[in-house]
Amino acid sequence: MRLKTAQLWGLVAGLAIVQGLVHEAVVFPLWKKNYAVRTDLGNGGLSPDQLLLAFAGFRELIAGILWVRADSFFDDGNFDAILPIIRLVTILDPHQIDVYSTGMWHIAYNFTDEGSRSDRRYVPSAVALGIEGANNNPNTYELFYETGWLYFHKIEDDYPEAVKWFEEAMKRPDVITARRNILNAAYQHNGQIDKAADYLYNLLQESEKRVKSGRDFMASTNRDTIENNYDNLLVRMAQRGYFAKKGGYYQDWDYDTKPPFDVGFSAEVSVVEPKVIRVEGTWNVLPVGTRIRIVLRDENFPHAVPAGMQWYQGPAINLDPPKDETFMQEQLFVKNQRFDRKIDMSRDPLMYPFAQDKYIVEFYYNPRQAPAYIQDKFGWSGEGMTDRNFLNNDVRPGMNVIYTTMEFTRDQLLRQGAWENKVPVVRTKNYVGFGARQLQDQVFKVPGIEPEPDKK
Amino acid sequence: MSLAIETRDLVKTYKSRSGPINVVSNLNLQVEPGEIFGFLGPNGAGKTTTIKILLGVIYQTTGDAYVLGKEAGDIAIHKQISYLPEKPYYYEHMTGLEIMQFYASLFGIHDLKKCKDLLERVNLGNDMNRPISQYSKGMQQRVGLAQSLLNDPKLLFLDEPTGGLDPIAHIEIRDLILQFRDEGKTVFISSHELSDVERICDRVAIINKGEVVAQGRLEELLIGGRIELTANGCPDDLATRLRDEDTLVSINHGRMIVDVPDTHNPDQIAKMVQAAGGEIVSIIPRRKRLEDLFLEAVTGDNIAKGRRLDRIVEKQGEEKN
Amino acid sequence: MGVILAIAKTTLGEAVRRRVLLVILLVGVLFLAIAPALEALSPRQELTVLRALTLGIIQLTSAVIAVVLTVYLIPNEIERRTIYTILSKPVRRWQFLIGKYLGAVGALGLMMLLMTTIMLLVFLIMRKVEGTAEIASLAKVPFAFFIQMSLLAAVSVFFSTFASPIVNFFLSGGVYLVGTVFDSFFDVLSKNSQLNPAVKGMASIVHVIVPNFQSFNVQNPAINQLQFIQSEGMFYLGLGVYAFTYISILLIAGIVVFEYREV
Repeated sequence: MRLKTAQLWGLVAGLAIVQGLVHEAVVFPLWKKNYAVRTDLGNGGLSPDQLLLAFAGFRELIAGILWVRADSFFDDGNFDAILPIIRLVTILDPHQIDVYSTGMWHIAYNFTDEGSRSDRRYVPSAVALGIEGANNNPNTYELFYETGWLYFHKIEDDYPEAVKWFEEAMKRPDVITARRNILNAAYQHNGQIDKAADYLYNLLQESEKRVKSGRDFMASTNRDTIENNYDNLLVRMAQRGYFAKKGGYYQDWDYDTKPPFDVGFSAEVSVVEPKVIRVEGTWNVLPVGTRIRIVLRDENFPHAVPAGMQWYQGPAINLDPPKDETFMQEQLFVKNQRFDRKIDMSRDPLMYPFAQDKYIVEFYYNPRQAPAYIQDKFGWSGEGMTDRNFLNNDVRPGMNVIYTTMEFTRDQLLRQGAWENKVPVVRTKNYVGFGARQLQDQVFKVPGIEPEPDKK
Repeated sequence: MSLAIETRDLVKTYKSRSGPINVVSNLNLQVEPGEIFGFLGPNGAGKTTTIKILLGVIYQTTGDAYVLGKEAGDIAIHKQISYLPEKPYYYEHMTGLEIMQFYASLFGIHDLKKCKDLLERVNLGNDMNRPISQYSKGMQQRVGLAQSLLNDPKLLFLDEPTGGLDPIAHIEIRDLILQFRDEGKTVFISSHELSDVERICDRVAIINKGEVVAQGRLEELLIGGRIELTANGCPDDLATRLRDEDTLVSINHGRMIVDVPDTHNPDQIAKMVQAAGGEIVSIIPRRKRLEDLFLEAVTGDNIAKGRRLDRIVEKQGEEKN
Repeated sequence: MGVILAIAKTTLGEAVRRRVLLVILLVGVLFLAIAPALEALSPRQELTVLRALTLGIIQLTSAVIAVVLTVYLIPNEIERRTIYTILSKPVRRWQFLIGKYLGAVGALGLMMLLMTTIMLLVFLIMRKVEGTAEIASLAKVPFAFFIQMSLLAAVSVFFSTFASPIVNFFLSGGVYLVGTVFDSFFDVLSKNSQLNPAVKGMASIVHVIVPNFQSFNVQNPAINQLQFIQSEGMFYLGLGVYAFTYISILLIAGIVVFEYREV
């Protein structure tokens, strides 16, 4: 007796419908509700099993899927969701150059509060990510370039590092011609004017060759740009007395950089509301374009250096900055020889936790960041700049900067305790108000500097 | 009483790249109840395929196969038959007794004593609690025989039961098979161990390339022994005169060998030799052996008879080359 | 029934002695035993990682055992010719197939029980788990895995009725992978409004037809110690019915194929 095949196939078909119904109606909805892993990575989620796939050798595939998912978060502005993906993707596939570069940019620039101030506590992670990416992809210039750019543009204060990374990038043969000019700027910012000149000269020689070879349509445009840059540099070197100093006849001639110009810095910081400070002050430079750095940080902020921090703190990429550390950095723009800015740190308690008792406010001006027309007066390293009270050559050895600090307590910044109904104000001794203040100012402390003779 | 096994024009075709291949073609077998039937053929002749069809493990392409009066593959007849495959393996982790209990439970038999008795019967009484992995080939074969007796079968299929065994094991197995006949069982032996088959089988079928080429009682098939007469000093023309359809003559420098069926009268030939001046050296009657029959059947050469067969076979071999 | 049980028992006895399976099991057990040492890798969320790791080891080991065990079920019988002695007895092929399957599932169950016991012991000794409720929530997971592996075994038993062991290994592994990794992916595809209807249709067909192994992955609440499981009884009932139905489908289809298979 053989089996009744037709009936059995019929039974199979019937059971197939039953299993589909049971699964779709009961099992799957309940599973999704109770047991599915909620990764919130887009619609589908990436389950541990998909991660298993990753470990089974499909790492790049998974990395790709993740990165495509992450893209939608950029559209939504859901930046917090992107960080872990970036880290995961770069771990899974350390050759995802775009993810590294996007990730660095994203970590360093995109975590902002209402005033578009980015959270500097992330910068060391961005640096570490860039260095890791560069080490993992040593055959392309890109991540060396990106790391250099981070030092050059975002950090703005650690030019030796910018030079170092740009130099590494320029060693790679795939570097784009137009991007090679950046190293010239980095040399100048780093005070290596000779090197900048040599570098531009070499670039010019090379581009001449390319023009002569006649094969490159862009070559002559590029040659013109380099030539222009080189001309400018030579003119500035002459104008700012660079050659004179080298030749030892600087003292014999008039140069724009002398006599040193007194910038006349003074400042007043008042806590107008809890976590909201108003910064006013003077800067005796008429042309616009000056940006003075202000830092407000925990007095004992780890890795702090004057007006900044150690931007490279080791290879660890910590996407979750310590929740009890405060570090605010902002630019004060000078207009009509004064600055006046309200800085609101009350909106984002994650970025500005104010968990410590004592705080330091630092003012800092570095002529290396100045635009060329101001540098024409101040020189590359501030030799044409002075300030009666705040000129400093210690915090950045080898150059003149403006630097001073003030102290606040937590109660003052949060306007609590004794300061609940009083406005704490800290001034440099030389500060002259512009009047028109309605509030009853409470002057409580003056930094230890010499007062100007004719003021009280 | 119906036949124990009957096949009618049984055909089994396999598809292959070079077209269909008939592994069994138009096979007609009749096995009487209570006999030991030898199913002979060279390797690849289709013996195992036929047995598998009879067991219902595979299915014929066309034709009919009946076992114990029912269609092959009918599960009801499986209670009355047994099968011992060629070179069987068993679940090696089990002991002989456990194997027996396992197979017994497939029949719904839960009789420990019966299992033990059967193992005693095949001389494994002392080894029944050792795992099969420690058994020799002969012991494994005997376990196989013991398990095949569990259901007290009417019909046993034994596929190469003595294959690969040492002479003593041969004899043991042979004796067991002879006992089965005494118990009234039908035994269907597939083999190419001709000496064994010749000793124990009542009837044989010889198949080659899927077809039965000879079938019948052994005594009947083996009728027709030969007589070989050797003489010296024979003239060449004597050979020519003696030669006929069934008489093979060879002569070399007067030494003549005449090979005739035992139906011929050797005295007549002797007289002719003596009349021609020859001297009889020997007259040797020789019984036909299964080997002869087998070779005759599978080489398909009607002229080849007696011991000259080997030369014929050689010659065929040369032709192939 | 006696026949099926006899075959199942023999299959089980053989399976628990197969060296390759024992080696896989041993590797799994070793990993389970050393898993607590890996907590150093994850100082903050050690419990989560440890649970995920041990449950993952149990699942992976069981899946490998389930497939390796079942792909050779039928081919081994044919190679050793034991299938002929069995099928020449009054044993129907479906009885043989179901007996083999049940034996394999039994062996799998024993091995998974061993791994689960070791996991719980390690957790108890290391004081990673406290109270019967926590133990129960942890033990439910391997139980669901066991049903999952039974389904997987049915898949490869079905394939073994017509495919060779190596082919079967990849077929079954592939079905498991698709059913585990991509199933909810197909579900998402089938509900995506932007996709072309043909693709959506294909996706929903795949989602409904491929055995949904993912639904047996209930480890998430146990790993993350979530307490908000709703209609748990209903879920497990549904899961049981689903598994039973699907296993029946596979076994019946396997039986029909095997019935006509020439062995």
